Amino acid sequence: MRDLYQRLGLPHDASDKDIQRAIEACHHSALKADAKVVLGVPEHRDAYDALHGTLCDIGLLRARLGLTHGPFWQDSTANDFSLPPDNTGARHDLLIARVERAVGLHDGWRKWRAPWLLAMLLVGATVLGAAAGAALYHYWLA
Amino acid sequence: MPSGRFNPFETLLLTSRSQADTAGLLLLAWVMACRGPLNEAQRRHLTALASECRHGHDLKPIFALADRQDFDAIQLAAEVMQKDRGGEQAYPFLRQAIAVSVVDGEPSISQHHVLRFLADLLGVIPSLFATLYAEQAGRPYAVPEDPSRRDYWLTKEHQRQQEEARQHEQDERRREQEARERQEQELRRQRERREQEARERERQRQENARQERAHRERAQQDQERTRQERARQERSNESHNRRWQQQTPPNDARAHRALAVLGLPPGASRGEIRKAYRRMAQTHHPDRFFAEGEARMATASQRFQRIKNAYEYLMRAS
Repeated sequence: MRDLYQRLGLPHDASDKDIQRAIEACHHSALKADAKVVLGVPEHRDAYDALHGTLCDIGLLRARLGLTHGPFWQDSTANDFSLPPDNTGARHDLLIARVERAVGLHDGWRKWRAPWLLAMLLVGATVLGAAAGAALYHYWLA
Repeated sequence: MPSGRFNPFETLLLTSRSQADTAGLLLLAWVMACRGPLNEAQRRHLTALASECRHGHDLKPIFALADRQDFDAIQLAAEVMQKDRGGEQAYPFLRQAIAVSVVDGEPSISQHHVLRFLADLLGVIPSLFATLYAEQAGRPYAVPEDPSRRDYWLTKEHQRQQEEARQHEQDERRREQEARERQEQELRRQRERREQEARERERQRQENARQERAHRERAQQDQERTRQERARQERSNESHNRRWQQQTPPNDARAHRALAVLGLPPGASRGEIRKAYRRMAQTHHPDRFFAEGEARMATASQRFQRIKNAYEYLMRAS
């Protein structure tokens, strides 16, 4: 399976007119004949596009997982759909990092919750005591 | 620094009792969804497969992710599988994936590529994968076809045409069969009608024969009486005898009918009879009706026979 868009120098979402023009301008007679049949007929192109999307995904997956030289990734498929090694990092590492951060936040909250509670209790008691003192003063001495 | 919330599949993995099982289920659903959105039967199939797993969560999020073909989720699942299920542990999962893709006949081309990706992902070499495939599908593994080539589409078109031609031929044969049956029915009806007519004719003929017999008896009686009379007259008047005999033929009723057939009044002379016969024979000769078909010719032949019989009788009698 070859990437005809790439070989014709077209984007994947090229319009029919662009494709016609590119086919006319193509000098490789075999590629020209194939492209006429595959991309020139709308239903053929739809089927081809669906498969093309899947293979692009698989190419990206292989690039990210380091599988660009597997025994099942050979010939024109590998030539046309392989991407340069991707260093965006593994999703699993991302997940671990997120979990670590969440754990850190949680633990921090847990760790700091006791002093905060103590402080809150102190403040509450002080306020209550002040209010009670004020009330006593107001009713008994006034 | 990672940012953002946990996405649905990450949440699912974190709540799962077995991350590898969850990831495996998502990949199986992905293999299924390569043919299009999951239908009810496929969901049930996946639920049955999931009953053997230890994931311990709902499957709905997995269906939703597979229908969307969520790339991040699939990548994460692939990483989890690569980490947890390498080597020999991969075989049960690959078997399941192959079974899922061949359940509706030959796997689609994108399913082929996904299976090849999974084999590479789990480190299963091609010969082993081919064995697994043959065991699960019951036929040898074939390299996927290439729709970027013209030959693929031409072959497909050819197959479609052949299929259509076969369909057309079947239709044609059925129609022919129906036509033959109808024709047979028609023939049977015609035969019945002909038999009916033949019976009718037979009855008519018997009727005629009876009338004929009655006539003949009466005629014989008449003859007897005339002979006696003639004998008496011969005795009384010898000279008038010959003329009287010529004027009244012996078989009166039959001669009248024969004359009527030739279109003559009673008592016509021999010359008149011959002339009338010639004219009638010319107009009713069967050869004149040769161009108008078998049936007309047959009726003309009957009429001609009657005319001829009448003439011969009259010639004999007079």
